[in-house]
Amino acid sequence: MTPHAQAPVRPVALVTGASRGLGRALARELAAQGWALVLDARDPVRLHRVAVELGALTDVSALAGDVADPAHREALGRAVDAHRRLDALVNNASVLGPSPLVPLRELDLTELQRTWTVNALAPLALVQRVLPALERTGGAVVDVSSDAAVEAYAGWGCYGSAKAALDALTAVLAVEQPELTVYAFDPGDMATDLHQQAFPGEDVYDRPAPESVVPALLELVCGRLPSGRYRAADLAPVEAEAVTA
Amino acid sequence: MTAAAPTRTRFVLPPGRLATEPPEWRGRGRDDVRLLVASRYAVVHEHFPSLREYLREGDVLVVNNSVTLPSAVAARDGSGRRFPLHVSTALDDGRWVVEARRPDQSGPDFSLSPGTRLALPGGVELVVDEPFPDAGARPSRLWSAVVSPTVDRARYLERFGSPIVYDYVTGHPPTSYYQNVWASEPGSAEMPSAGRPFTAELLVRLVSRGITVVPITLHCGVSSPELHEPPAPEPFRVSESAAAAVNSARARGGRVVAVGTTVVRALESVASPDGTVHEGAGWTDLVLSAERPARVVDGLVTGLHEPEASHLDLLDAVAGPELVDKAYEALVQGDYLWHEFGDSTLLLP
Repeated sequence: MTPHAQAPVRPVALVTGASRGLGRALARELAAQGWALVLDARDPVRLHRVAVELGALTDVSALAGDVADPAHREALGRAVDAHRRLDALVNNASVLGPSPLVPLRELDLTELQRTWTVNALAPLALVQRVLPALERTGGAVVDVSSDAAVEAYAGWGCYGSAKAALDALTAVLAVEQPELTVYAFDPGDMATDLHQQAFPGEDVYDRPAPESVVPALLELVCGRLPSGRYRAADLAPVEAEAVTA
Repeated sequence: MTAAAPTRTRFVLPPGRLATEPPEWRGRGRDDVRLLVASRYAVVHEHFPSLREYLREGDVLVVNNSVTLPSAVAARDGSGRRFPLHVSTALDDGRWVVEARRPDQSGPDFSLSPGTRLALPGGVELVVDEPFPDAGARPSRLWSAVVSPTVDRARYLERFGSPIVYDYVTGHPPTSYYQNVWASEPGSAEMPSAGRPFTAELLVRLVSRGITVVPITLHCGVSSPELHEPPAPEPFRVSESAAAAVNSARARGGRVVAVGTTVVRALESVASPDGTVHEGAGWTDLVLSAERPARVVDGLVTGLHEPEASHLDLLDAVAGPELVDKAYEALVQGDYLWHEFGDSTLLLP
């Protein structure tokens, strides 16, 4: 034993939208692997449940709020500052827009603005805020995208345009910040609350569970692949098959 | 007055916040009460069945399986005056510990004295002996009394007693309303009420998720909500298998969550400084507080306690005064209902 031996440093992740769906599944896996977590979600009760659950495994900061709110983003930034490092920023929090889905001719522009703010502006704003902590570790930025960002589906204009903007921001960031790994991640259809909102009244729980996508997402969170846009199905074909089999 | 000074007043209980009837009388389920969850992260408002969201595989939920006896009987003294008598417990030598109440149930009656003879239903006579637990205390709320003829307290009360009902309760809920679903060992004078909102369904859901439910026994005496005394000695039993279940859960990293202050008292009475629990039975006079913190209990499900109740000191022992104060601030502001038919809290420091 050396007298000045330091405690092993935990990698730190900031995961938004961590109280349910893919964000919660990822947070659980990262906690199990010993990552320290800064978690965000709008619903304070659901976020609290996740924080209590994962707090037994690792160091958790849980801040309830809306990523569209600059004051809340600042609070998340301060929680990251307390760790003095950030290994992964996972911009997972998203809103769908109107539910049920509406065609663009009927789209309420306030909804469009809100969706762009949450799904595209807020992720960039968080990147700007935590960039020094990310640069310190050469960390990863993972922006959770959608096939609606690249395919034109009727009714998906609001959500898809916001995710397309996010994809564009992600791609440019990757060029501008070569010291980081920067990813857009398309998880595919999942049995999540957001997907349920897109198809109200329909049983979406025949889709893969968000947990099935986590192994693919982890490849990116750990920064093991070159920057770029990845689909879960291409990253982890074995897991994806196992789920649908 | 009583031996111990009251604890500090920690909050002001607003009027109209005592649960006056069981939720069942409002057409709802036993579990249809609110749950305030206080952890190091936040204090949040939940519904009681959401408790399961906070427990996980490997945790143990320790419950008090004491059955509540109908412990109020009609007594008559030598002058023919009638008043309710609460039978708190039976001592090892067969004497009973009793509390005389004012006829309108508004509080304890301090007029008992050594030698007072009380006639009880069924031809039983009590001769008041000495104050309990401190024989030198004057005046005293609780007295021991010699019973003649010798009768089994549980069987006698089941025949002649009715549940203890304090004056904030409207009507007379049946004895079954004062039992927890897991109750099996007759002996409490008052309900170990933290367990009341648990339904058989919720228990099954918890067990099926890998949470172990472990029973201990502690028979609750009468608390007299009007006074703020330290808890009196109470009989308890922690079995060998209960102790083993708690120890093995802790060894595997599971949490020990107590349902009720009685469970904390019993477990901590048989806990070593390192938190290992041993089997044990007898009378416990352990008083827990921030100065004597819990060694084995990690979390606590409990009802809502009065501002000056000594129970709050026990909460401090589990959760620390800061978190307890934060929780009570939220309870007061959040329109929660106090007492055995009211709402609940989960403290998870």
